[in-house]
Amino acid sequence: MDHLAKIALIILLVLSSQASAQEKKKPFTIGGEMGMWYEGYGLNKAPSPAVPDFYQARRPWNLFRYSFNPTLTVGKWTVPFNFNFSPAQNNFITAATGGPQSVWQFLTNPVNNFGVRPKFGSTELLLGTQNQQYSELSTGDLGVFGYGVNLAPGKFRIKLFNGVSQRPINYLAPTILPPFSGVIGAYQRNQWMAQLGLEKEGKYFAGFNFVKSIDKRNSVTSAPLSPLDPQENMVVSFLAKVSSEKGWDYHIEIGQSFYTRNLNTPLSASPVEDFKPFINSHTSTGKDNALIAGIIKKGKDWEAGAKFNYYGAGYYTAGYPFMNNDRMEYLANTRFNIWKKKMNVVASIGERFGNLSRISGPSLTKQIIANVNVFTQFNERFSLNTSFNNFGFNSPGLAGYRSVSDEISINPAYTWINSKMSQLISGTYTWSKYDETTIVPASTTHNNTQTVLILYVPTFFTKKISPDFSLMWFQNKAPSLKLNLISATTGVNWKPAPKISLKGQLQYSLSTVDPFTANRNLLATSGFDWDIYKKLTWQFSMTANLYHYGTELPGSSFTPAYPGSPEYLESTLRTGLQYKF
Amino acid sequence: MLMIVQVTLAQVTLNLALNNRPQPWLADWANPVNGQMIISYMPGPVLNDPSVKLRTSLLDERGNIIGSSNINSARIYTLRAGVNQFTIADALQLQNLTLQGNLHNLLQRTGRIAAGQYQLMVEVLNVGGDIVRARQTRLFFITSYQLPVLMQPANGSSLDARLAQNIITFRWTSLIPGSPDLPQYRVQVIEILPGQTPMQAFRGNRPLLDETSTSGSTQFIWRTNLPMLDSTANKQFIWTVQTLDSRGLPVPGMDMNIQGRSEPAIFSIVNQIGEMDKNRKNEDLIKP
Repeated sequence: MDHLAKIALIILLVLSSQASAQEKKKPFTIGGEMGMWYEGYGLNKAPSPAVPDFYQARRPWNLFRYSFNPTLTVGKWTVPFNFNFSPAQNNFITAATGGPQSVWQFLTNPVNNFGVRPKFGSTELLLGTQNQQYSELSTGDLGVFGYGVNLAPGKFRIKLFNGVSQRPINYLAPTILPPFSGVIGAYQRNQWMAQLGLEKEGKYFAGFNFVKSIDKRNSVTSAPLSPLDPQENMVVSFLAKVSSEKGWDYHIEIGQSFYTRNLNTPLSASPVEDFKPFINSHTSTGKDNALIAGIIKKGKDWEAGAKFNYYGAGYYTAGYPFMNNDRMEYLANTRFNIWKKKMNVVASIGERFGNLSRISGPSLTKQIIANVNVFTQFNERFSLNTSFNNFGFNSPGLAGYRSVSDEISINPAYTWINSKMSQLISGTYTWSKYDETTIVPASTTHNNTQTVLILYVPTFFTKKISPDFSLMWFQNKAPSLKLNLISATTGVNWKPAPKISLKGQLQYSLSTVDPFTANRNLLATSGFDWDIYKKLTWQFSMTANLYHYGTELPGSSFTPAYPGSPEYLESTLRTGLQYKF
Repeated sequence: MLMIVQVTLAQVTLNLALNNRPQPWLADWANPVNGQMIISYMPGPVLNDPSVKLRTSLLDERGNIIGSSNINSARIYTLRAGVNQFTIADALQLQNLTLQGNLHNLLQRTGRIAAGQYQLMVEVLNVGGDIVRARQTRLFFITSYQLPVLMQPANGSSLDARLAQNIITFRWTSLIPGSPDLPQYRVQVIEILPGQTPMQAFRGNRPLLDETSTSGSTQFIWRTNLPMLDSTANKQFIWTVQTLDSRGLPVPGMDMNIQGRSEPAIFSIVNQIGEMDKNRKNEDLIKP
């Protein structure tokens, strides 16, 4: 709560300075928007209750979200707000509290944003939740709740921020009576960061990034169980970016990280020495390096680039907690127009090497990623889009594995126009082949997929109604599986008045997994988008999803557990009001 | 004379109850799951020296020494008569252990040693470090996993709304090295709600899809049944695969989270008609 007091003090200072600015009758403007959004969900199953359960709710029953994003301009002050929050907590990847959230837990819940960034000239205050992207090797993925400042005197760039990137949650043990799955808990993670550099906008940037995070062991009264141990991390990186007038862009970043997996392990200068004054090493401390380099050349109607990344096996940064390390990769990509600019080509090829440290076995893993997309506008009526993707992965050795995925897609589109209407007919055919091979036991699985989509869209120039129709066929063949899906969809948009747009969509599909009978599905959606006033819009949508199983479900085929074929009806209501200042 | 020596040596017995598949991070070896070391001490009628030091050696599968502790800086233990219990971390003496070559480098970087078969030899010595009073060697295996890499939909890719509201196919690479028990892969897809960053949604929202693929399969076909074309539909998703072992516990990977979750990837839903318009706009953009 110490943070709250500091933040409140800074907000008061800012507001008082704004108030004094208003007293001087400086110009005041407001922009941005605010809104509220609601989603209601319902699920009815038959039979009910079903044992075993054949379908589970996939959304919260009720979800409210509020946004408040105005930008105030008071004299030379600009004050953008970024409030986006929900009173409910549906945390899944990160821990949820076992009961109601405290105010501090609500403010630091990763799902919520409470950010203000008052700016005066080149000075910017950062208050509340901020998503700061310093660089690819330091921090950029997380919202951090705290306070800080960005300064830009002349060519100097100084950024400082201190806050909380993970909220504290007490561990709660699971219980049988009453049934309670428990709470895994989490330590509060404090994070400070700084960037010190030199910049000339559009020309160059060079600077150091410092990011340190530490889990506060006293932030919880009931500590999470191992392996959720308190951690500490420090990253120092040097980043340089240069842009030339001739269209060349270069960037390079070199980083070193210190990472203590468990602060409860003994302090020790071995295996890694202390990094004073930031890190006191423990037996669980490691340090490693990472490097990113890239070059891009932009031409008049073309672009080409190359990128190289290296992440050591022990490189960690709390700013990107899910980053995959122990890898090296290169990627080359290009984009250009040819044939009188009627053909647009986007292509890339890259290779990734994993297990560089050989920590998981004696061999490197290799992954190839290649794709090319060619769009050709032959004339005003006819266009063709083709794409090819290849993903390959190889991990040699007795415990090895290999997979290759090839996918080709062709999408012609034809449009013809007369005085009353335009008509678009488009087709897409995708063929995908996915082979997996294991060394022990020696086997290869072939997995082939085909998809066909035909779309017809008439547009009437004199009518306020615009329908569309599509048909889709999908087939997936694997040794133990053959899945077929046929689907027909029609949609309509009707604009009965300039400010209101009604919409509806109906989709019926049959999906069959051999040797079972088909599942039938009806998906119906209707709603409207209404500009109630010049600045106020209202969106509303209701969806019903009726799914009737064939004999696919275990229990409904060989050993009938359900009387008849089970089905469920899922209903979703979505509505949102948005006001533009 | 022979009798006296036998009695002296019999004072200290060592039992190294090491889990043959200990945790891959050596600093974790204090955890009971890795086993324990028991030194029994029975004062003899002739020599009674309860003070001992430990010497630890790490050997590779061929029996070559690849790491050893420094006996001079080893801690002195004063044994109680009877059973003395220690953790495996005490036996390993990580703070006092010097590994050779690449192994040392790997330990400094990751806190781990490479996957493979090793032997841990612990000797109980007198304080002078010249008399071995007990010795035991135990074989153990280190397994270290690389979590799957998400392949399809690739990070940053766009899917056609009309296809995606029926079916989305997810593919990823397998767990490396392969496990004798087929791992379970849980595919988790999370909607990115309006005003959210992808990582914010990932850390804060409930998954729209949380399903386990057929045992060992690295492909999952999701019959979505979502109105992707609707103007209120969320058009961005973030997905991951959580790898679980045969007991349903997350497989520890190389990441900070120890949840067995692969680095997530983002995909967007686009309306095919809109995409074609976008292509035309792109062409316009690079016109002189």
